Amino acid sequence: MSAAGGGEHHGPVDPLITIDIPGTDFHLPIYNFVITSWVIMLILGFTAYLATRNMKRLPQGIQNLWETVVEGLFGFFGGLMGEERARKYGPFLATCFLYILLSNYSGLFPGAAMIKGFVPPTNNISITAALGILVFLSVFYFGIRAKGIGFFKHFFQPMAFLVVLNIIEELVRPVSLSLRLYGNIFGEEKIIEQLGEMVPLIVPLPMMALGLLTGAIQAFVFTILATTYISGATEEHH
Amino acid sequence: MEILKSLGFEFPKFLWQVVNFLILLWILKKFAYKPILNILDERKKSIEDAINNAETAKNEAEKLRKDYESRLAAAKQEAQEIIATATKFGEEMKNQIVTEAQNEAAKAIQRAQEEIAREKEQAVAALRDEVAVLAVLAAGKVLGKAITVEDHEKLVKEFVAEVGDLKC
Repeated sequence: MSAAGGGEHHGPVDPLITIDIPGTDFHLPIYNFVITSWVIMLILGFTAYLATRNMKRLPQGIQNLWETVVEGLFGFFGGLMGEERARKYGPFLATCFLYILLSNYSGLFPGAAMIKGFVPPTNNISITAALGILVFLSVFYFGIRAKGIGFFKHFFQPMAFLVVLNIIEELVRPVSLSLRLYGNIFGEEKIIEQLGEMVPLIVPLPMMALGLLTGAIQAFVFTILATTYISGATEEHH
Repeated sequence: MEILKSLGFEFPKFLWQVVNFLILLWILKKFAYKPILNILDERKKSIEDAINNAETAKNEAEKLRKDYESRLAAAKQEAQEIIATATKFGEEMKNQIVTEAQNEAAKAIQRAQEEIAREKEQAVAALRDEVAVLAVLAAGKVLGKAITVEDHEKLVKEFVAEVGDLKC
C-alpha cells in the first residue's frame, strides 16, 4: 500500500490510495469517490440492517423511516408500471434513487471539501456513465427476462425501417442519463466551490439550498426515466 | 470515446461504480426491500383480516340481537298468557270456594234448626211428666189426705186425659 496523495491545494488527489495486489502487477486504485460511495453504502446498509433486524408490526424509529421510504418509492413505481412490475424492478430503481440522492447530497455535507476521500460521486462522468450503462443493461436484462426474444420486436415498431432510429434512441438514453446527472451536479458543485472561494460566508448558502433541490430533482428525474425505460421494455403489447 | 475522455471518463472508476452499485443493490435487497415489503404485505393482510373479522362479528352480533329481541318478545307474550291463565284460574277458585262456603253454612243452619226442634220436643215431654207429678202432689195437699193408690191412679189417668187434650 502506498499513499499517492500530497498536500495539493485544489481538490483531492485521485487515486487517494493504490493497493498493490500481491504476486501480480495489478494496482488497485482506491479513488476518493469510492470511499464516499462506501460511506453512502454503509449508511444505507447499516440503517436498513438496523431497521429490519428486529421488525415490529407497529413500526418505530428507523423502521418507520425505512418503511416510509420503501413504501413511498414502490408505491410511486407501482403507479407508473403497476404493482406487480414494481415489485420486480423496484429494488433496482429504488437503489438508483437512494444512491444518487445521497451522492448528490454528500457534496453539501459541511466541510465535505476538506475531508480526504470525500467527493460527491455523481459529479464525475465515470460514475454517472456507470449508472447510465447499468440502466441501459437492465432494460435489456429485464426486457428479455419478461418477454424473451419478443423484446427485440419493439425495435421494428411501428415500422420496420425505423429500426436504425430505434437503436439510436436506445443508445442515446444512457448518454443522456449520464450527462444530465453529471452536468447538473458538477455544475452546481463548481458554482458552490467558486462562490465559497470568493466569499466563504453566507453567499454560497442560497446556492447550497438550491443544491438540495437540484440533488433531489436530479435523483428523481434519473429514476423516473429509468422507470419508464424499464416499464416500456417489459410492457405487454396487446 | 474522445468526448468522454475529455469529460474525465476513466474506465477503472466506471468499473468501481458498477461493482459498488451492484453490492449496494444486493445489500438493500437483502436488508431493506425484501423484509420491508414482506412486513407491509403482512400488515396489509392482517388489517384486511381484522376488517373482515370485525364485519363478521358485527353481523353475528346483529343476528344475535335480533334473535334475542324475538325471544324476548316471545317470553313477554308467554308471561302475559301465564298471568291471564293464573288470573282466570284464581277467579274460578274463588267462586268455587265461596259457593262451597255458602253450601256449608246452609247445611250448618239446617242442622242447628233440626237440633233445636228435637230439643224442644224432648223438653216438652219432660215438662209433661213433671207437671203430672206436681199436680198430683198439689191435689193431695188440697184434699187434705193422701189418696190411695187406686185413687191416685184414677186421678192421674183422668188428669192425663184432660191434659192430653191441651195444646202445649
